[in-house]
Amino acid sequence: MKVRLIVRRWKQGWTRPRYDVFDVEADPEESVLDLIERVSLSTDRTLVFEHACHHGACGACGMLINGVERLACVTKVGEAARKGLLLVEPLRGFEVISDLAVDKSRMFSKYPAETQTLEPVAASLEKLYDCVECGVCYSACPIANTYGEYLGPSVLALAYHRALSDGVVPGSVAGSGGVWACHAAFDCSEKCPVGFKPGEKIMKLRRLLLGGRVKVS
Amino acid sequence: MTAVSKHVVVIGGGVTGAATAYDLSLRGFRVTLLERGSIGAGTSGRTHGLLHSGCRYVADTEVARECYLENQTLRRIAPFLFEKNGGLFVAITEDDLAYKDFFLKKCGEAGIPVEEVEPAAALKMEPNLNPKLKAAVLVPDGTFDPLKVILSFLASAKRCGAVVKPYNEVVGFRVEGGEVRAVRVLDKVSLREYELEADFFVNATGAWANKVASLAGLHVPVKPSPGVMVALDGRIGNRVFNRLNKPGDGDIIIHQRGTSVIGTTSWIVEDPDGVSIPKEHVELMIKRGSEIAPVVSRMRVKAVYVSSRPLVGQAAQTGREVSRSFAIIDHSREGVGNMLSIIGGKFVTARLMAEKMGDAVCERLGVSVPSRTAELPLAPYWLYFS
Ligand SMILES: Cc1cc2nc3c(=O)[nH]c(=O)nc-3n(C[C@H](O)[C@H](O)[C@H](O)COP(=O)(O)OP(=O)(O)OC[C@H]3O[C@@H](n4cnc5c(N)ncnc54)[C@H](O)[C@@H]3O)c2cc1C
Ligand code: SF4
Ligand code: FES
Repeated sequence: MKVRLIVRRWKQGWTRPRYDVFDVEADPEESVLDLIERVSLSTDRTLVFEHACHHGACGACGMLINGVERLACVTKVGEAARKGLLLVEPLRGFEVISDLAVDKSRMFSKYPAETQTLEPVAASLEKLYDCVECGVCYSACPIANTYGEYLGPSVLALAYHRALSDGVVPGSVAGSGGVWACHAAFDCSEKCPVGFKPGEKIMKLRRLLLGGRVKVS
Repeated sequence: MTAVSKHVVVIGGGVTGAATAYDLSLRGFRVTLLERGSIGAGTSGRTHGLLHSGCRYVADTEVARECYLENQTLRRIAPFLFEKNGGLFVAITEDDLAYKDFFLKKCGEAGIPVEEVEPAAALKMEPNLNPKLKAAVLVPDGTFDPLKVILSFLASAKRCGAVVKPYNEVVGFRVEGGEVRAVRVLDKVSLREYELEADFFVNATGAWANKVASLAGLHVPVKPSPGVMVALDGRIGNRVFNRLNKPGDGDIIIHQRGTSVIGTTSWIVEDPDGVSIPKEHVELMIKRGSEIAPVVSRMRVKAVYVSSRPLVGQAAQTGREVSRSFAIIDHSREGVGNMLSIIGGKFVTARLMAEKMGDAVCERLGVSVPSRTAELPLAPYWLYFS
């Protein structure tokens, strides 16, 4: 199929972004990420975007595709294109590094210091949390978009899991930038590519705190 | 000579370059890492994410042992990065079953602790396995999110002062008097070209190693060898599923976070850029995957992806052999004394590759500081962002 790929471009030092148009031949079954990579290899090597796993497992490739937060690697061109148009823009809620790449330190700098990243599945089995740490929920969240101090949906959802296993959460989680800043819009859960349900987990964490069933450190 | 006075540029932000930047900066070198795309955008981001036990390579005892030892080292220095659930090698056919005794014997020779379990017990552990399985062996496999492992090496490197520059592509070299003086770099963040001088250069660009080396008029005998992987929309087990037989197409299913991945195939290409996915490889993965776990045929495919192994070509025998599985290419025989390339290996052996590269750089620069990456804990990946 013929696709008109429109990419929001911004480079360090520019006063405003620019929209570049690439008319390309694409397979409706291929991912938006593969298409972007092909354009970067064949037409414009200065195109900046983040990607690694290409199968929805690492969270690198979150972006707005026709206005909606998606992981580009698990979004098919044929499903996402509207009348042959594909508009790709960086996630909201983060500072843009360049073009489609954003600085996710806002999310990662709020991780607890200790290295606990696995959840138990059974007695001797463990897995990484389903959250792929993509930042899509920050971009979708009206609070995270306007309130820089907000810890953000995924960090709070992970704190909820920690509260269940350890019975304690850090003070910041119970503070004004924590669970109480959430306005229960649930856009995070709606857009989360893996169904991690951060919105619901924030509500549950509130109830744990209100009921005094989890300590604040 | 002290390491601090020496600047080393590492080209390539895959797991090999990241581990090398860490090894060198921990030894005290001033390190800058350049990656043309985002971190892990080459082969390393696009693997299965299998923490090899070594059992897939038992035909070569040395390679198998190397994998197993690195598996143990990584678990020790960064337990938080790995789902340490083990793996099962399962025999489905008589032909698979005939491979079992050889397999068990070779695992023993390589020093990999494995344990045969009754088929019924294996099915209880992993109900999605083929109910007709004839034999099962438990092995110390694990899985990981490749990007997070690479970022952990880089977070550790940054803690030792390394500078990491993604979106900075090497587009040329300035070679004078038998040495590389500087690389020319295209910075895609600010859209400018600049020159970066250094005392030593490490080319860790994997399947791209020859493309990059040729910018300096040098040659690296790498054979890019792509493989296709199929990701399912869901997780069908906890332990890695391996076919108990010689390594072949579609003989492994690994699970990580909420996804299971079937792998893989193998062929050779000239250029690792723009490899397309043969449709029949996808069908083959699903067919062969269903033999191991019948549920595969009923699942939605979430993504199909491909990446290229940086295989060591025959000609590498003229290079400097440090291991059977990877090679450090010495460019001094081509007239450039301060650049080494590294190809081959596995994601899981990247730390060891980096240690050997660190030794080689030290020898060249007359510095004697040992590698310490096997002893010290890795920094968590989120510190990369601080
Ligand atoms: C299908 C498949 C599955 C695999 N599965 C596993 C597995 O489960 N477990 C395992 O242990 N191993 C696995 N491997 C092997 C492993 O992935 C590779 O050996 C390893 O990732 C290679 O890492 P690298 O850093 O050498 O190369 P790469 O990750 O490719 O890094 C090289 C980097 O150099 C960059 N680069 C290229 N040109 C330039 C330039 N001009 N300037 C700057 N940077 C440049 C590239 O963008 C790239 O990021 C698999 C390989 C394949 C193909
Ligand atoms: S909770 Fe969902 S949307 Fe938010 S970072 Fe995790 S995977 Fe992404
Ligand atoms: S590239 Fe890893 S989630 Fe898309």
